[in-house]
Amino acid sequence: MLESLPAAFRSHELKADVRTLLILRKAMEKNLVKTLGDIYNVLKAIIVQDPEDIGPYTRAYYEYFLNIDIANGERLNDAILRSETFRAWKEDYIRRQNNPEDLSDELLVERFLDAVHLTTYDIKEIVSGREIMDNDDPNMKDGEVDNPQDATRKHLERMADYSDMSLEELLERMEKIAEQQKTQHSGGSHWIGTGGISPYGHGGAARDGIRVGGTGGGKMARMVMNDRKYFPVDMDSILNDNNVDAALASLKGIMEESAHEQLDVEKTIQDGLKRGGLFLPELKSISQQKLQVILLIDNGGYSMDPYIVSIRELFKKMKTRFAHDLETYYFHNTIYDKVYSDPSRRDAVEVSRLLQKDSEYRLFIIGDASMAPYELNKYSLRTYHRIKKKFKRTVWLNPEPEKYWRHTFTLQVIKQAIEMYPLTPNGIEKAVKDMNKKK
Amino acid sequence: MAETSFWTGSESYLCDKELAQAFHMARTLSMPLLIEGEPGTGKTELPLQYAKDNNLETFVYPVGSKSNVEQFVARFDHVKYLRDSQIEILNAQREEKGLSTRLSTGGRNPESLSDYVIKGPAVQAFQSPHSVLLIDEIDKAPREFPNDLLYALSHRKLVLPESGEVIEVAEENMPAIVITSNREQELPTAFKGRCIYHYIHFPDADVMRDIVGKHYPKVDPKIVDVALDVFYHLRNIGLERAPTTRELLNWLQYIKQSTTEEAVAKIEKLEGIGALVKTQSDLEKIQHMVLQNPDDYSRRSTHN
Repeated sequence: MLESLPAAFRSHELKADVRTLLILRKAMEKNLVKTLGDIYNVLKAIIVQDPEDIGPYTRAYYEYFLNIDIANGERLNDAILRSETFRAWKEDYIRRQNNPEDLSDELLVERFLDAVHLTTYDIKEIVSGREIMDNDDPNMKDGEVDNPQDATRKHLERMADYSDMSLEELLERMEKIAEQQKTQHSGGSHWIGTGGISPYGHGGAARDGIRVGGTGGGKMARMVMNDRKYFPVDMDSILNDNNVDAALASLKGIMEESAHEQLDVEKTIQDGLKRGGLFLPELKSISQQKLQVILLIDNGGYSMDPYIVSIRELFKKMKTRFAHDLETYYFHNTIYDKVYSDPSRRDAVEVSRLLQKDSEYRLFIIGDASMAPYELNKYSLRTYHRIKKKFKRTVWLNPEPEKYWRHTFTLQVIKQAIEMYPLTPNGIEKAVKDMNKKK
Repeated sequence: MAETSFWTGSESYLCDKELAQAFHMARTLSMPLLIEGEPGTGKTELPLQYAKDNNLETFVYPVGSKSNVEQFVARFDHVKYLRDSQIEILNAQREEKGLSTRLSTGGRNPESLSDYVIKGPAVQAFQSPHSVLLIDEIDKAPREFPNDLLYALSHRKLVLPESGEVIEVAEENMPAIVITSNREQELPTAFKGRCIYHYIHFPDADVMRDIVGKHYPKVDPKIVDVALDVFYHLRNIGLERAPTTRELLNWLQYIKQSTTEEAVAKIEKLEGIGALVKTQSDLEKIQHMVLQNPDDYSRRSTHN
């Protein structure tokens, strides 16, 4: 059943696997899935695990079930309007209209979305809404059956009720349709359109003037597509305002997590006394609480300017969140025997003084490592070697995209002395991981 | 059958439609519902109001930094056990000395270990069919806690300490489990995979008006309009900590004590803004903005 679904959704960086299918199947058994809109909701609840998944999920859904590709940053409306699926649906929709209304594209898209995102809950709501309306009708006499509204209601109820179809039949049908979807490029009108909204191609009823307004699902899909909040940040893009938080999360890895446990003598005694002399060994997990960080930032020259603000923001957050012992120094292009404790580089601090600090400090050097070859002389290189020797956990973060690294001579030389990583959330994560390996 | 009817909220609780559907889905599939969202969006209220509305038993486990599965499932009371087993010996000694009075163990029998098991909310919920179990703010827990829960959640089975008794619940009797998280820490993927996930979007102005109406039905809609205008404006200017529903309600609690005209004037002057804005830098930012174009606020709030 829908074997290709996990792979299709995984290609959007979502977590889908056999279990997804199993839960979906169970949901079908429990009558939770009857319309295409139901599939959207159920799969969303199973697959989405983070608000950032909602965007990619919506995209994957439209691609897989409706054959509508939504390009990066495209509005849902536009993607629908240019799709074959919509064209086919529109043709069908207009043909079935008894007295064709003149509908603008925008309104048509709205109707289309209503159809796609119609859920069982909506149908039930309409049905019960009608029921109340009918019962309230003072003109209606008892036994008056030939009521057109009543007929529609029956129709709607029938649509919502697939109990006469076995699960296997349903699955088979879905699969067949999914297959056609792929081969015929018929624009997915099998799913919606002909006879309405049921994914099973059953004779639908929510047509002919029954407007299913405000189903919400379509609204939500549209909202999501236009909001960056619902898309993951690009972990490989150079540090900027948008991914500072993702970078911070990567930095958190610096707090070593260990499963190491040790006998907690104090607690054992305390709890033992409380128990009236029955001593049971109490364990405590050991975690490294001491986190000391030195930051060396290259703030000279125009090449670094665009990144300084983001870098400062990142480490400011780091300082408030978890690394309270954080010192920042500045340098210009490369380090000789001095760094500076202020951004305007007036208060010099001897490197030899830095070298007297606790070797537990972690060093982040942030710079593009690009300079005139003569600037990187043997004194500077010696400084790097001394730093590396003293502080085993030293890394270099470079805001320059990695693909340009090989063109810069000085960068290559420095890279030999100190491990270098790109200044992206992924790069930081990797740097921190490697840093943690060294003791 | 488990309680699987579709619940859409009660008189005092406005349940978002999508949330109601996710909750229904979770109950039907007997899976836990994991709700995430900004603070003050009514995550904790959902199970409580649902239980209240349907007269169901509720068990709450508030998670803290020291939470462990023992507290959640069950723990063994060593002190009572030790005391009772000593009493057996004491009683024997007293008998030897010809004393007729016996010390009581309060009906507990040291032979039966299950007498000393103190049941946590999980076991209690599993033992009362159709109950509601709320695990509140799971993101506050130590990292192992969610992983330790996995077994219980996926097997519907709990093992009691020492006595080894197994508490099992049939799928139809499964309690409705709701887990809330403020996203202060990422939950393990395997854990999320076993839950129905729902993210509560921040309510828009129309929904918020209804929410305010449910809490303070008597407040003049005019006050609410003006207040909401300011509230959403504050949320949009990119504060470090955007104000939430709860804070809006607190602010209105203060504002609504005055007459309509006074209240509107108070809102325009951003009186009691401390209820909405909680950090110094945000306050400074707002003061700065108000000083820059003082007309902006009064114009924005009066034309409504």
